[in-house]
Amino acid sequence: MVSSPIVLGVSLAALALGSPAFAAPAPLPPPYAGAYQPQGVDEIGMWREDDESERRLALSPLVIRDEQLTSYVKGVLCEAVGTDRCNATRVYILREPSFNASMAANGTMRVHSGLLLRTRNEAELGAVLGHEFGHFEKRHGVERFKSQRGATDVMAWAQVLASMSSSYDVRRSYQNVELSVFGHFFRYVRDQEREADLVGIGYLNNSKLRPQSAARIWQNFMGEIEASARVRGLKKPNFNTIAFTASHPPQGERASYLAELALPEGANRDDGAERYRVIMKAWIPRFLEDQIKLNDFGGSDYLIERLADDGWTPELWFARGELFRTRGTQRDLANAADFYTKAIEADSSLAPAYRGLGLSLLKLGRSAEAQDSLRTYLQLSPDASDAGMIKLMVPGGTAQ
Amino acid sequence: MNNPIVIILAATLALSTSEVSYAHSLKKQGEAVQVADSNMTVTPSRDWNRLRGKIGKQTESWTLDGGQLNDVTFFGGIEPGKPLVKERSKKHDPLPKFTETTLLVEVPELLEGTYRTYKELAAFTLGASAPTKFLGRDGVRFAYEFTDRDGLTRKGEAYAAIIDKRLYMATFDAPRLYYYDRAIEDFRKVAHSAKL
Repeated sequence: MVSSPIVLGVSLAALALGSPAFAAPAPLPPPYAGAYQPQGVDEIGMWREDDESERRLALSPLVIRDEQLTSYVKGVLCEAVGTDRCNATRVYILREPSFNASMAANGTMRVHSGLLLRTRNEAELGAVLGHEFGHFEKRHGVERFKSQRGATDVMAWAQVLASMSSSYDVRRSYQNVELSVFGHFFRYVRDQEREADLVGIGYLNNSKLRPQSAARIWQNFMGEIEASARVRGLKKPNFNTIAFTASHPPQGERASYLAELALPEGANRDDGAERYRVIMKAWIPRFLEDQIKLNDFGGSDYLIERLADDGWTPELWFARGELFRTRGTQRDLANAADFYTKAIEADSSLAPAYRGLGLSLLKLGRSAEAQDSLRTYLQLSPDASDAGMIKLMVPGGTAQ
Repeated sequence: MNNPIVIILAATLALSTSEVSYAHSLKKQGEAVQVADSNMTVTPSRDWNRLRGKIGKQTESWTLDGGQLNDVTFFGGIEPGKPLVKERSKKHDPLPKFTETTLLVEVPELLEGTYRTYKELAAFTLGASAPTKFLGRDGVRFAYEFTDRDGLTRKGEAYAAIIDKRLYMATFDAPRLYYYDRAIEDFRKVAHSAKL
């Protein structure tokens, strides 16, 4: 047990050699070893826990049960990592607004709806899913568990030894050991992420998808973080510093090494943006609604504008109107009214846009126009859940 | 006082009285009580427990079986510019604010935004809202449903009114299965008994 930091140190050194600068494209993935079964008590136990967790997940109300969407996302994973590999996984799409996906040791892949909102094509989605699959193929879960256990074992013994002698020197040495062991552990976890990035982009290089998209995701995500920080009045985030306890490499580093690892010849490949757009058309307004209600004005507006790169749709104008009306300064309300009007111009049957327009105009003191708009809302959607409340605001309307 | 038993007794008494101020407390049936450090009073129609923790400056939470199973929260006069509950970080994690321009019809959206942001949820649905009387004034009654990160779907109902530019509200959340239906009538009685 006590020797584990040395083992840890050696493996870290080996990983560290590979991590900082990648000059060439990532190597091709090794041939797939076939259906893997867990080995040793740690891994067998971990898989059992994951099986149990997956059993609960399958029944969770947070899972989006849409066969077409799930099989499409699975298809993108298969496209990225290869059909033989992807059959080892089950994909679950969760209604969670964060930018995330995860993979459990037993092959359970969780994809958050916030990820589907942020990726713009199959290549970007495939890059994230390939990264997660990289963790799975390299058995990172169990390695991380062992490393964590090793680190805490060392600290437990060091504590016992340090308590035997009560001098300041011993105390200081103990604190040094503590910093060093935990620092190594966190670094080990970050190196696992780097390795998963390396493996993930290797899959993408080997696939029909464009590997350059992997770096694109991180550039976009940095843009979103920056926009969010700017509106909140925070200082400009630094995308290259690494916090002591950081679980992932900084976004700036990931964007730059992923760009280097991408196969240059792959730049002309298809990224599947058109297919992605067709499938996601029905879903994006829902996922966007979940995002704009999170009170992250800068980040949400950044996402809306990026989605609008493909052209403004009534749903995007409406979402932007809702975002501005929710923040609700007079300036925002004037903008919101403008956005709702654009939404209505593009689709005159979009009932909620009339509601938003009416409420914004009312607060701007333009009551007559507001009432017209609210009246249209009630005509278009007489059974709306808030119809009773809206009727109170329209002369001639009667309260329930 | 030199008797050790007396000293121990005195110490026990001192400890037990100091505990009282930190503990949950009982709100007895039929006794009018002020809630949420405000001039809002309610008269419960059955015994309720007041939870010790406060989720915001002008809030108070009551329960029957524990906050996870049935939770009544009173918001006693939220001022313009303030969020409904205490923000984790004003700078990094701000919550939506109640403002002078917030309309009664927008109060359900304010609660929705607060729940979604505070709990990082996506699965939240507003149900029907309708005009009602709350605290003797024109108010709104609305329903909602959300699935928390624990995977449990909860239903909720709330009554709200804006009086003198301040927001007064009473909300009730409970798991959709069994607990909501069991206690919703008790909550409605509390909400109807609210006075300023």
